[in-house]
Amino acid sequence: MSDKNGILVVAESAQGRLANVTLESISRARVLAAALGGPLSVVVTASDAGPLAAQAARYGADRVYMVESPEVAVFRPGPFVDAAMAAIQAADPAVVLFSNSPEGRDVAAACAARLNAGLLVDVTGLEVREGVVKALHPCFGGRLIAEKEAVSLPVMATVRASAFAREEAPKEAERVPLTVDFGPVGLAAKVIEVVSERTGAISLEEASVIVAGGRGVGSAEGFVILRELADELGAAVAASRAVVDAGWMPHQSQVGQTGKTVSPQLYIACGISGSIQHRAGMQTSKCIVAINKDPEAPIFSIADFGVVGDLFTVVPALTEEVRKRKSGS
Amino acid sequence: MRLVVCVKQVIDTEAENRLDPASWRVDRSVNCILNPYDEYAVEEALRLQEAHGGEVTVVCMGPAKAEEAVRKALAMGADAGVLVSDEVLAGSDVQGTAYALAEALKGLQFDLLLFGNRSTDGETGCVPAAVAERLGLPFLSCLAKVEVSGDTLSVHRETEQGYVAYQCPLPAVVSVIKGINEPRYPTMKGIMTSKKKPLEIKDAGALGLDPSQIGQTGAKTRVLAATAPEPRKAGTKVEDDGEGARKIADFLASQKLL
Repeated sequence: MSDKNGILVVAESAQGRLANVTLESISRARVLAAALGGPLSVVVTASDAGPLAAQAARYGADRVYMVESPEVAVFRPGPFVDAAMAAIQAADPAVVLFSNSPEGRDVAAACAARLNAGLLVDVTGLEVREGVVKALHPCFGGRLIAEKEAVSLPVMATVRASAFAREEAPKEAERVPLTVDFGPVGLAAKVIEVVSERTGAISLEEASVIVAGGRGVGSAEGFVILRELADELGAAVAASRAVVDAGWMPHQSQVGQTGKTVSPQLYIACGISGSIQHRAGMQTSKCIVAINKDPEAPIFSIADFGVVGDLFTVVPALTEEVRKRKSGS
Repeated sequence: MRLVVCVKQVIDTEAENRLDPASWRVDRSVNCILNPYDEYAVEEALRLQEAHGGEVTVVCMGPAKAEEAVRKALAMGADAGVLVSDEVLAGSDVQGTAYALAEALKGLQFDLLLFGNRSTDGETGCVPAAVAERLGLPFLSCLAKVEVSGDTLSVHRETEQGYVAYQCPLPAVVSVIKGINEPRYPTMKGIMTSKKKPLEIKDAGALGLDPSQIGQTGAKTRVLAATAPEPRKAGTKVEDDGEGARKIADFLASQKLL
């Protein structure tokens, strides 16, 4: 038996806030820690880690490791891997959770390689059975759900956004500053410039509501009405592959097999026929609404609510309807 | 400039993906293609070669038939290929794959190693970072722009708000995203000459791989079961009679989503 115990969540943050997926992971880790025993630790890595530590405590961390340095003001894999490794050494946990974002995967994969440990990727379920952590991983766009386990310790996993609920459970967390010797290889990559072209843009993986457009939107300009609806709902705007290939929307907005996989609370598909490749990226959404002219469009077969109609009349009317209801009139 | 691109052969995105119920491995008996994301990495390497000269070598791990994926990259214009292929590698997980690739790459001299940022079948997106770690080289992922000047790499990494520009000395390891370029189609001449380009097949013995680290035995994660989830059912569908938007809003309100 190993002495490793407890759970460590490697936090991801932006603009002084923990990412939603990190809060979800902490919330789930609390349940796992109760079943496995041992403390729930979180490592926060930033130039100013104080607010992040406070947030981690609010979600129930027993201990927060703080790696504060100007070297980690902007994400780059090397120093963030060193920070996570320092926390893993300090906490000696039985389970380590990362976020399944590009940054989270970079850090998780390198830590797992350094420890020569197994990595469970993109998990949507985590539970303890007979003292062992089991993970669920949807493969092939959710057409199959694989149940997996790690056969090495610590158990390492990257957690999909929106897979678990967020729940506050305030605690007086112990704060442990960590001094990390950042390795020269990681520091070799220098940040030259941070460019924000879309300020306030909500990440697709993190968004709880997504308004998505397909070929039926017809043009880049057509997305204006989708963006208006999205703004009203506090939603992110996504696109199908056809839209991205036509150059109407940027590549990072593509949902589907060759794009992103999302599972928001609500996915509103406008003018999207719903090819199997698109469905692979969004069919785990909690609720799907579809608007399409073609009553035979396959998207209707997975939509909780579908409207057969012209998106150019339905979408603006919906924006207006949402606005009215929000203002309570 | 010495460029190496790691590629994978994946199940055709049009084919039905399934796991072999006996082994829980991906069933590769269907039509397979060069991972679409890797085409961007091959294209980027070819563009760097056009600008700076040098050689492009393609490295692939997979079954014997993965040679087709290597030949496709050669037909696009790469100069040489290495296929890491051995029965004992079947069933390797992220760590086993990264270990075998890293060992194969240690035998090659390169300035820049490129990956596509993920595969369309395994979809872990974790092999590039794990390989870079095992090689002890700087790594930058999800790049939308890659430039080389002397022995300095200048890149843009996509973020949700825009991008972050980094600089890094070579040698280095990168992964590139869809949209960084428009991958070329192999020409007829390219396809003909690809058949004569050097392609070396290396097995576990030739690479001196530790059998305890590879294949199903070396895998540090295992699949216990795989089940199809309850299929999603179609809900309510209405014709827009001018009330479609209001009906959606009513529905959203009933689901507490509004």
